[in-house]
Amino acid sequence: MTTLIARTVSKACLPIIILFSVSLLLAGHDNPGGGFIGGVMFATAVSLMYVVFGLNYIEALYNNNWDKWFGIGLLVASLTGIGAMLFGYNFLRSMSIYATLPLVGSTKIISTTFFDIGVYLVVIGGLLYIFKSMGEDK
Amino acid sequence: MDPFTAITLAVFLPFILAAILPAVEKVLKGNIGWYASAVSFLSLLLIALAAPEIIHGGTIQKSVEWLPSMGIDFSFYMDGLSIMFGFIVSGIAVIIMSYSNGYMSKKEDLARYYQQLLFFMGSMLGMVFSANLLQLFIFWELTSITSFMLIGYWRNRPMSVYGATKSLLVTAGGGVFMLAGFLVLNIITGTFDLVTIMNDPSIIANIKAHDLFLPALVLILIGAASKSAQGPFYIWLPNAMEAPTPVSAFLHSATMVKAGIYLIARIHPIFSGTEAWFILVSGLGIITMLAAGFLAFRQTDIKGLLAYSTISQLAYMVAMYGYTTYQYPGIGVASATFHLLNHATFKACLFLVAGIVAHETATRDISKMGGLRKEMPITFVIGTIAALSMAGVPPLNGFLSKEMFYESSLEMGHLLGGPFEILIPLFAVLGGVFTFAYSIKFIDGIFLGKRRSRVLPKHIHEPSLVMLVPPALLSAIVILIGLFPSVAVQYIIEPASSAILLEDVHLHVSLWHGFTTALLMTVITFIAGIALYKRYDAIAAWQNRFNEIHPRFSVNYVYDSIVDGAKGKSKSFAAFMQPGPLKPYLVSMLLLFLFLGAVPAILVASVIIPANMEFGISFYEGLLLAIMVVSALGAAILKKYLHAIIAVSALGYIISLVFIYMRAPDLAMTQILVETLLTIIFLLVIVKVPQTFTEKIGRSVLVRDLLISSAVFATILVLLMNAFQGIASPFESISYYFIENSLPLAQGRNMVNVILVDFRGFDTLGEIVVISLAGLGVYNLIKSRSDDT
Repeated sequence: MTTLIARTVSKACLPIIILFSVSLLLAGHDNPGGGFIGGVMFATAVSLMYVVFGLNYIEALYNNNWDKWFGIGLLVASLTGIGAMLFGYNFLRSMSIYATLPLVGSTKIISTTFFDIGVYLVVIGGLLYIFKSMGEDK
Repeated sequence: MDPFTAITLAVFLPFILAAILPAVEKVLKGNIGWYASAVSFLSLLLIALAAPEIIHGGTIQKSVEWLPSMGIDFSFYMDGLSIMFGFIVSGIAVIIMSYSNGYMSKKEDLARYYQQLLFFMGSMLGMVFSANLLQLFIFWELTSITSFMLIGYWRNRPMSVYGATKSLLVTAGGGVFMLAGFLVLNIITGTFDLVTIMNDPSIIANIKAHDLFLPALVLILIGAASKSAQGPFYIWLPNAMEAPTPVSAFLHSATMVKAGIYLIARIHPIFSGTEAWFILVSGLGIITMLAAGFLAFRQTDIKGLLAYSTISQLAYMVAMYGYTTYQYPGIGVASATFHLLNHATFKACLFLVAGIVAHETATRDISKMGGLRKEMPITFVIGTIAALSMAGVPPLNGFLSKEMFYESSLEMGHLLGGPFEILIPLFAVLGGVFTFAYSIKFIDGIFLGKRRSRVLPKHIHEPSLVMLVPPALLSAIVILIGLFPSVAVQYIIEPASSAILLEDVHLHVSLWHGFTTALLMTVITFIAGIALYKRYDAIAAWQNRFNEIHPRFSVNYVYDSIVDGAKGKSKSFAAFMQPGPLKPYLVSMLLLFLFLGAVPAILVASVIIPANMEFGISFYEGLLLAIMVVSALGAAILKKYLHAIIAVSALGYIISLVFIYMRAPDLAMTQILVETLLTIIFLLVIVKVPQTFTEKIGRSVLVRDLLISSAVFATILVLLMNAFQGIASPFESISYYFIENSLPLAQGRNMVNVILVDFRGFDTLGEIVVISLAGLGVYNLIKSRSDDT
């Protein structure tokens, strides 16, 4: 079993890392980051929890096989591509608009963000799926 | 509704309605078969809607753009031939699906069964209405695949699996030859559109004069022969009898095996009228007809007997379509087409009767049956009508087309002259004699005489009406066409023959047409057939003995040795290619890299190391590099896995520092994160294996490995030095494009991310699929291993 320090610190870190990973995902188009990095970061955060608290403890809280994550991710990414076809463009053609959102203000909304969300989900799902099946192996 | 829409619906509705079949099954439960019957009836109606215009001599073609860049259209073509097949396929489908309601036990996986039957029907209809050769090929292979699934319907029976595999290998393999033939045809004509080729005499003349005429013909004929179980390809059909009997009746007697015949009829206008056509097609047909008719004798399985009879009956048609001379290109076309229709009716009927008998007696072994006429008189009457029609007894439809077969054989022999004047009619009669004998065997073995075995159930009775009405209907058609042939001839055979010969055909078919030579041949057939039937069991016994003495003298032996040989060969090949430990893979990869990277560099470059290198290394760079070298050495030398892993991770983290130094934040972040995850995964694995590296490495292996790594090191070093010096590369770097365009075109300032999600979005899509598959792969590796232990 891990030390009290490790457990406390990792509990405190988890929300921060996850928030950071989401910010990496959303800011990725103009600043360092993106779906892949964000996804790997999310995966490290969760794997930190697995390592520190053990598989069984985490599963008691939140049992997830992670396979749904990469399934949904693939779906989101492909649908983004097909979305462009609905407007008569080629598969995966990107589009962007500027919109004024409440609280945030003027924001650029670009279709590749949705594609990146798909990548994000696939990376999280794929890595943690591998991670968990290795961890479960006796 | 215009005919094109009707045909399109007739082809695609079965697919769509089959797709929702599992949902319908939830409501209808065991009665789902009636839904499938309704769907096939719908197709029949739609084809009937489109038919009138075709029957009056019209043809319809309509195309939808499919692959415009290659000039390929999705195109349906309707003429007399395709309409006839449309009627046969959908009509028999209605009968078969209805019959299946009684035949298939409610406990079976009915949804899968009917779904695949409907898929098959759709593919078959799609094939006969295809005007485009590639489209025809796709539907053709779809029928092979659905046939494969239906033969292997009972998945846990080894013989089903064997039969299904065999049929797929032979028919789909033959299909590939056919595709090659179509490609050759495309090389000659420049088009895949069958109708364009057929209707243009200049194109046909060009084909006939072309050097590639024979290759095209042979390749396409291999496809046709494999599908219709002709020549050496017959071997799959007897094994296909492992399918449920309605499937055999539908696919393996009435429709799918006729796809090859259809193809021969379809390409008839293009290739006939040549010597090659007569020799190849008629030769194939006559040999198969005689061989299969003879081989039928030793079959004790009633479905096996019917399978061989199907092969020989199909061979009649092949032989007739092959009858051709330069002046009269289609001597046997009308008779073959008529026989095709008749065979579909009486053979489907025979299979359904066989299904009833097997269903009620719980065996398919004819040597155990006999005397069943008392228990099942109605089945006896139906079966006898169908079998006599196959034997060519008047006034049934088989008699009419058999007579026409003799007539066309006489005519062909007469036109060729010489020994052929006798030989061809002689072969025809011989084929007829065999047919007569095995047809009588079907009646006599099952229904007449005394019971030959006591293993049969005590109480055998007539089946339910659901199973009795469909074959009764077919036998009624058999009699009706026999008595009143003019209706079928006028509305089906004449349009179909006209479509093949591309000219108006008028036939006069009647039961009584005077004392002709053909009638004499029929009489000879009956007398010889009865005489042969007396010796039936003796011949069968002789065949069995021959088979025991010469087990290698069979096509099946060749097939089995090829397939088993391939299994063994692929096993040793896999063992060679996939040795297991990682090192051999790494060695071959690195050697390939050396071969592709170093060898051309040495051969091509005049100066390998640039002359004026400027090494400006700052203090921090030097420091980082030194740590990298130390940790890399540590990873190679350290004995304990834990230490080695720490050294590898240290190397990874230092590389991320280098990225930071080079101002590449994206790369640095990715590197740190991936390194972290990798380290954790390594540690997860390491706790389950011995902690120390114990393998002894020999001196020679060590030297070899050192040599390879040094060579790789030197190559990369030289390549890097050259790249760094900006040596003129043969291509302009693509980076500038991305630097300039990522903001204006993709509205993103992070070039790396823009490349990932926008410029190279398709690549990324592929990569995330790879991640998902890798996840599943790791999962399966781990799970399958824990299952073994």
